[in-house]
Amino acid sequence: MDALIGYFLYFLSLLSVGGIYALLALGLNVNWGFAGLFNAGIAGFAAVGAYTFSLLTTAESTFHYGGLGLPVVIGEIAAFLIAGIIAAVIGIICIRLRADYLAIATIGIAEIIKLIFKNEAELTNGPRGISKIPRTWEHFSEARYFSSQPLSWFGDSQSWQAFFDSLVNWWWQPLFAMTILFFVFVVYIMLEKARLSPWGRMMTAIRENEVAARAAGKNVTKRRVEAFIIGTMIMGLAGALLAQHLRFIEPTHTFDPSKMTFLVWVMLIAGGSGNNRGAIFGAFLIWFVWSASELFLNGFIDIIGNIFNGMDISMLKNRSGYLRMLLIGLVLQFVLQKYPKGILPERRPAASGE
Amino acid sequence: MWDSFGFEFVNYYFVPGLVLGCIYALGAIGITLTFGILRFANFAHGEIMMTGAFLTWTFLELSKLIFGFYFHPLIACIPSIFIAIAIALSVDRFFYKPFRDSPTIMIVMASFGMMLIIRSLVQVIWGPNQITFVKGIAKPNGILRDLSGSFDMMLLVPSKHIFIILGTVIIMLAFNYMLTKTRIGKAMRAVSDSPDLAKVTGIDVEQVIRATWYVGGFCAVMAGVFMAMDTQFIMSTMGFRMLLPMFAAAILGGIGRPFGAVLGGLVIGFAEELSAYPWFGNGPLLSPGYKSGVAFSILVLMLIFRPSGILKGRVF
Amino acid sequence: MKKTILTGIATAALAFSASAEVKVGNPMAVTGPIPDLVAPMVLAVDLAAQHVNEQGGLFSDGQKYTIVRADSGCDPTAAVDAVTKLVNVEQVSAIIGPVCSGATIAQAQSVTIPAGVVTLSVSASSPAISSLESGTDLVFRTAASDAFQGKALAELAIANGITDLAISYANDDYNAAIAAVFAANYEMLGGTITANEAHEPDKSSYRSEVATLGSGTNNLALFAYYGSSGITILRNSLETGAFDLFFGADGMAAQEVIDQIGAENLGNAFFTTSTSDQTTNAFGAWKAAAEAGNVPAADPFVPNSYDAAFMMALAIEKLGSGDRSGIASALRAIANGPGEVILPGEFAKAKSILAAGGSIHYVGASGPQDFFNNGDVAGFFSKNTVVDGAWSAEIIK
Repeated sequence: MDALIGYFLYFLSLLSVGGIYALLALGLNVNWGFAGLFNAGIAGFAAVGAYTFSLLTTAESTFHYGGLGLPVVIGEIAAFLIAGIIAAVIGIICIRLRADYLAIATIGIAEIIKLIFKNEAELTNGPRGISKIPRTWEHFSEARYFSSQPLSWFGDSQSWQAFFDSLVNWWWQPLFAMTILFFVFVVYIMLEKARLSPWGRMMTAIRENEVAARAAGKNVTKRRVEAFIIGTMIMGLAGALLAQHLRFIEPTHTFDPSKMTFLVWVMLIAGGSGNNRGAIFGAFLIWFVWSASELFLNGFIDIIGNIFNGMDISMLKNRSGYLRMLLIGLVLQFVLQKYPKGILPERRPAASGE
Repeated sequence: MWDSFGFEFVNYYFVPGLVLGCIYALGAIGITLTFGILRFANFAHGEIMMTGAFLTWTFLELSKLIFGFYFHPLIACIPSIFIAIAIALSVDRFFYKPFRDSPTIMIVMASFGMMLIIRSLVQVIWGPNQITFVKGIAKPNGILRDLSGSFDMMLLVPSKHIFIILGTVIIMLAFNYMLTKTRIGKAMRAVSDSPDLAKVTGIDVEQVIRATWYVGGFCAVMAGVFMAMDTQFIMSTMGFRMLLPMFAAAILGGIGRPFGAVLGGLVIGFAEELSAYPWFGNGPLLSPGYKSGVAFSILVLMLIFRPSGILKGRVF
Repeated sequence: MKKTILTGIATAALAFSASAEVKVGNPMAVTGPIPDLVAPMVLAVDLAAQHVNEQGGLFSDGQKYTIVRADSGCDPTAAVDAVTKLVNVEQVSAIIGPVCSGATIAQAQSVTIPAGVVTLSVSASSPAISSLESGTDLVFRTAASDAFQGKALAELAIANGITDLAISYANDDYNAAIAAVFAANYEMLGGTITANEAHEPDKSSYRSEVATLGSGTNNLALFAYYGSSGITILRNSLETGAFDLFFGADGMAAQEVIDQIGAENLGNAFFTTSTSDQTTNAFGAWKAAAEAGNVPAADPFVPNSYDAAFMMALAIEKLGSGDRSGIASALRAIANGPGEVILPGEFAKAKSILAAGGSIHYVGASGPQDFFNNGDVAGFFSKNTVVDGAWSAEIIK
């Protein structure tokens, strides 16, 4: 029974993190799929969202600026908006850059953002990071939440404490996972609406043939900046949710570009470059494969160890982390060559609109 | 410079900047060639550097085993160059060639993937630990010290740095000769400037692409070996560390302009080391915590204000 | 595809056949920024498990003490994912690890504390861990918090007549914190700090930094991991003569430093590490076992890793089962005593005492390992200098 609950909880965690990555992929799709912008600074923008959320919602602390203790929803909205503001500044400056150049510029900017978070330790606690970040639903069980409004209207601290103690210790996990999936759903619906709207069709026109679009009088630059900002705002929101999932963030390892930025690009390209469904599908698929591959690889090595009874598998086990990376790299190459348009290719809206 | 800044500046800031710049420059040449001729940012370039260094170490150990003493790294690197170029060519054939006519994003993704694959392979084969390349501390070269002493200066430069600087100069001269005087060099420049026109005039683009991997691979391995000689150890993450500064150097100099890449590499190398010089007062100009930020900031500023680079390369 | 399904079923089957063993999860930063630091730590954990299994295994029926390794990559996201799998899919009884403070805090807050699983970190040293949970007793560590070692090092520096120095620290969670504690204590004791700068790890040259830092003094307090910047800074300083006296903490006391720099150049260098106070007993026992098992005995956090894995086995043995809820109190009991002293490697002895109903008190290779209320340990520290081509420890009282 425990084992079954265990598998269920693991599945929920896959949904949660997969959902966070799905949001990142959807945001990237606005940049890339809608406007053809090669944004490789995903990790940096997610960091902005995560830090904004954390600094606003954590309690008073000697290590970093805090104490505002704002509600999580306000934190998420703020993450969304602040990421957008930073994106606006960067976008206006960088928008003229083409493909590879924009990629390199955004990588550089993301690194600079992280360096700032790392070095301004007064504000952010530098490399030691910010901990005790409240997690939606679970945060209700923390004393500082149920002893203040609005929960205090429904009962006093004692009764709330007793209530939470009576729940099974994983009660909040399904709710948290559903919250993330809810965000993914809402963002998906809104982006699909945008894609089919006049704005969306104009973006497609710009992406397909910029010269013609300009000749038709469209303000290409402005549209591009808009796409940059909107996509990045979604990434900021995803960053805030990531902060909640981990309950701890720090500037060096959490927002590592070779894991976060690269992985999200793989998700988008493999899933279906340029379309929202592909983004979501790719995110869940790649995350499931990434996470489950550790289990499979260890199990596989165990089986080999059992088959060849005398063989010393310890070296293989210790290097299994690298084998895993190797396999993921090879899987990526395979998907790129076999499914160049992604596994779920783009569905174009009909000329007369759907 | 000697008179105005003195002994400290030249020996502890300028020369280190020059050495670092040389290493960045060699790496950036490969990147700018790939950018110019193959038209994509090759994220796996740093890993070729790193593989070259690891292979050289293996040959050093082999030389000890077989002959009883260690060869000089610059001798042991010769077989590694051949192997690394072979690797680069096979990678191109199996992983990049399918995307020659596809949108750039596909091949950039493929190169990201290769970065992971090559690095993981090295970690599986050689293990994750650091490996000592050359043991001990390098003392300043006596001949140079005495020579400069007779001119009233005192240059304290260890032999390894002399090798690196001279080696880079020699490679640059050879490279210049190749680009301007040989047929393949001129073909490379033609393809870099305009591939369609080059094809029309009958240039074999695949041959030029192969030449790019030869030259780029050679420079990458030399950069890796020089870095190993400088830091005296090798580590599987050493390629990735250098990647972004090398991109910065390539862009700074102008894409498709190899000498721009050299210039860019030198500028970035100097900027990094000189940022810690106490220009004003006692402390370093920029907190060393932001040292990596120097290359990135130069990169971003160049991209915003002059994306064609110093020597006016291509902006595409 | 079929192979994947078969492997999946096999994995699940293995997971379900957990009857003849007790599983403990071991997330370590196998990939990531410090693989060279972590590789010997992993060996130490395995050595502990090997000792336990060789000396009769767990409980009267000799169940296997199985370490389930996972890769936390020093990355909070990877750590949370790895520990989620360990706790939920592998159903481990407890967690030994992770290595980095960030990963430890994230996985504790995100997974193990809500799930009621004990975490025993091998090397995380952030002060934030001391106050991670209030009310639940689930987070322990076998590495002393920076607060202690920084202070000990400052006192040692003053005692050695070092009146002025410059500090260079790697800008990561461990080194930045210990540098701050050191600086505060050193100044309080009357020392002069001429410069105090962070440096970014993983650069290939620090020549300009050391030149600037070294302009005012000959002594360098270096807080870095040897692999990512420590050796390079040491080398750059020795090459240019910027400094001639070096000292620092755990991250530098590794055999690799001697191998690369050369023992003859390290005459004026000392580094503190946490250690046991019975150097002839606990550490000696550990050293013998480590050498027999080909594990570098004094490398950073290697003895701590052994202690963590060994103590967990002792706790499970005392508890009599792999039940998660009893581990915390069992851990305290065997670590703090009172009871018969057990040294590293003495599993069979401990097992027979426990079977007879007695109590034990484990004294570890990296320190006495008596837990405070919040799960921290104090350290005794030793000053390590290079003697005959290896680090040699001398207790600081």
